[in-house]
Amino acid sequence: MQFGFYFDQTRCIGCSACVIACKDWHDIPAGPEKWMRILYNEKGKFPNVFVSYLISPCYHCEDPVCISVCPVNAITKREEDGIVLVDSDKCLGNEECDSKCLKACPYDAPQFGPEKGAKMRKCNFCLDRHLEGKLPVCIETCRTRALDSGILKELESKYGTIKNADNFTYSQRTKPAIVFKSKNR
Amino acid sequence: MENQEKNINEEDIKIVRTASTFDCGGRCPLKIHIKEGKIIRVEGDDYEEKDEQLRTCLRCRAFRQYVYHPERLKYPLKRDGPKGLGKFKRISWDDALTEIAEKLKEVKEKYGNSSIFLAMGGGYQGAYHDGMFAMIRLLTQFGGYSTHYGNVSSEGAVYATQTQYISPFVGHSRTDLLNSKLIIMWGWDPARMISGTDTIFNLIKAKEKGIKIICIDPRYSDSAVVLADQWIPIIPGTDTAMMVAIAYVMIKENLHDQEFLDKYTVGFEKFKDYLMGNKDGIPKTPEWAEKITSVSAETITNLAREYARTKPAALMDCQGPARSAVGELYNRCAMTLTAMTGNVGKHGGNAAGGLMGIPYGHMFFASRIPPPYRNPVETGLKSVRGSLDLKLRFQARCHTNKIFDAILKGKKGGYPFDAKFAWFVNNNFLNQLGNTNKSAEALKRLDYMVLADLWLTPTARYADIILPVTSIAEKSDLVRPWPSGPYFLCANQVIDPIGECKSDLRIAEELADKLGLEEFEKYPDEKKALRFLIKLREDTRKNIRNISSFRQDGIYRLKLEEPYVAFKEQIEDIENKPFSTPSGKIEIFSQRIADLNDPENPPIPKYMERWEGRYDPLSEKYPIQLISPHPKNRVHSELYLVQWLKEVEDHVAWINPIDAEARGVKDGDEIFIFNDRGKLTIKAWLTERIIPGVISIFEGSWYDPDENGIDRGGCVNTLTKDAYSPGGASALNSCLVEFKKFKGG
Repeated sequence: MQFGFYFDQTRCIGCSACVIACKDWHDIPAGPEKWMRILYNEKGKFPNVFVSYLISPCYHCEDPVCISVCPVNAITKREEDGIVLVDSDKCLGNEECDSKCLKACPYDAPQFGPEKGAKMRKCNFCLDRHLEGKLPVCIETCRTRALDSGILKELESKYGTIKNADNFTYSQRTKPAIVFKSKNR
Repeated sequence: MENQEKNINEEDIKIVRTASTFDCGGRCPLKIHIKEGKIIRVEGDDYEEKDEQLRTCLRCRAFRQYVYHPERLKYPLKRDGPKGLGKFKRISWDDALTEIAEKLKEVKEKYGNSSIFLAMGGGYQGAYHDGMFAMIRLLTQFGGYSTHYGNVSSEGAVYATQTQYISPFVGHSRTDLLNSKLIIMWGWDPARMISGTDTIFNLIKAKEKGIKIICIDPRYSDSAVVLADQWIPIIPGTDTAMMVAIAYVMIKENLHDQEFLDKYTVGFEKFKDYLMGNKDGIPKTPEWAEKITSVSAETITNLAREYARTKPAALMDCQGPARSAVGELYNRCAMTLTAMTGNVGKHGGNAAGGLMGIPYGHMFFASRIPPPYRNPVETGLKSVRGSLDLKLRFQARCHTNKIFDAILKGKKGGYPFDAKFAWFVNNNFLNQLGNTNKSAEALKRLDYMVLADLWLTPTARYADIILPVTSIAEKSDLVRPWPSGPYFLCANQVIDPIGECKSDLRIAEELADKLGLEEFEKYPDEKKALRFLIKLREDTRKNIRNISSFRQDGIYRLKLEEPYVAFKEQIEDIENKPFSTPSGKIEIFSQRIADLNDPENPPIPKYMERWEGRYDPLSEKYPIQLISPHPKNRVHSELYLVQWLKEVEDHVAWINPIDAEARGVKDGDEIFIFNDRGKLTIKAWLTERIIPGVISIFEGSWYDPDENGIDRGGCVNTLTKDAYSPGGASALNSCLVEFKKFKGG
């Protein structure tokens, strides 16, 4: 089974409440390590401007390339729900392996703290909440209800199968587990 | 395995409900997770109806970092160096309060009570522990104090609604937006400034229902990004020119609702005279307005037709454009348009006026403890009741945006007091009022200054004594929203006070003892406070029957039979339920203003060119208009130090590439912005989302002057003017500047 996200890009105001809720839930200090990020895109010329926001967690790809490049097999994908996890204790740290997972990931999902040799950590789909039958904290945070999550197939039947969005290209190689309502110019 | 962390159902986790009490437009239930006496996580509303959840924003998502911030003040401090330098030493509460009491007695004896100045802000929006009310009570019973008049945020809107409706409750339930057929958001960005916890989601629902939304704003705001079917950029300070041109088109094309105007308003003919140019010879045509606003005559004409023909339609003005020299005229013109289109008092329509509140569960009815009698310094003055004469407001007070000018100039400068002792509570006014450099000079002149806060703010750096105040996590209170609702929130004490922090209420109580004010009443402790507060007001008393479940749920949601609509009663039955104005109708023409005989304060709403706008001759020297909207990652200057929030967005100046290129400035460059009042540095953000000729800097970044007097903190008020409009709006958005690339030094 594969779980995934739904993102309604037309509703996102870029407020970043999800970013902070994620930091709070997972107790991540201020700094470069962000399991959830918001990407900004601006196009056009005044006054014909187009702006989009995009959530950027780990998309828990169906074919996660990070797993195959990790030299110590620190990254695994759970069979029962497709959640991609990292064992940070096993991780060699970004200096020793030269951040192979980050370089392989098309979406910059692997995250590192500011310290030398930081071990990789990343969005774990709020596994603790997931195991309790709850949604990831970002989903329940979103003020505009732009986010949902669940079994990918069910998300597809509920929201459609749009796999691309503004500022996001679906990787056929890794197959990120997300469907969109995309914002188009 | 690192990723397979904690189990949320761990038995040692306790849930405590509290609420946000910042000076923001939201008011949100918070669900706090406690482990071993420490906050470990924060969740928002978990109401079973997910669509109706009052979801908190990023600010309170960072609640934990705010409460436990290492820079929170923990002990009373006494200044130990020159004013402004920020050097302090720890002292005991007993020593601090003893010294303050002695100073108060000394100033009272030497100069009289009017020399004691109380500077009050909105930094805490609970009822019980509100330092503003605690200090009003204390200083009243101490023989009186001087203070200030005028709300920094909304005074233009307050004056405008006082003029045309009297009632400040001009809002609709947010769900009523869904009954509209057209929504015009005029200078309103609820995506950032919240304006009601449920507002942005209801606007999104309205859009998805197919309701057209038009945003008029110098910026393509975050609200416009998701909501706008059409963005109409406009030159700041010229909104009223566009509004009167819309009115002109409606009259010319006979699109206005004459029946509504005849039945519910007075003075429309005089407004019409103005529009037609019967006296000044200038018809307020779309072509006339195009030259002023930069909005094309065609766009104005189309909007006039669309707004007049689409019923019901909601013209949502707010407070930002009124925070200018134009001030109240912006809200008055908007209100007049809602009357001309007959949208007042109707579902899906609105009455404009910018205040947006509804009279159920509103903060105005909060369980505050008033002083037992009137401030002795203000007794025997002419009554201000019902008057629109600001001079009456200033019999004993100064305008809020003139606090520092009043401190500097005193009675010699025409102010009603000479401030010697000042108490600052719930505010960071040095940072948040106009002309910060001048304000800093004023603070150096005070004989003695006490400040109660959670932080060593730029204002606090000038205090003689700083008293550390608890956050909402460290006390219990009853909390209400202002722009939407209705609901009541229960803030339960979550943790013990940090360090030696005390609430403002308790500080006042202890100081009363030191002053020997035996009649100063003490109120119940945290455990008993809630019952006391609920009983204090009729609406909470009637609705919250089960106090223990209110405490446990943290919220009581008032259910209305249908969305609240301002002035529905009046519109349905004007004979028996007139408006509260002298005429009983909506006063497009105000006799009360006409009686003031002030050419700057016209009895009908109109476009007026005042100072520091695009057409001020000063624009030759300072050609750029500076506006200062609300930030999204702090509440004004509150939460400024919270790192999770800081990293969400750099503090930058929004600049159109046309203006940047003309000055050789590239994206990300450090720039130097200046005028005769001050200089600051900030990073340039080149964006097509702002109209050329305008820079936007989010207010609230902390003032940090270097040795050359250049503010390196990017506090926008280093550049703004300490002035107010004829109706009392703090004119912070009327500000001319120039900028260039910063070369260092």
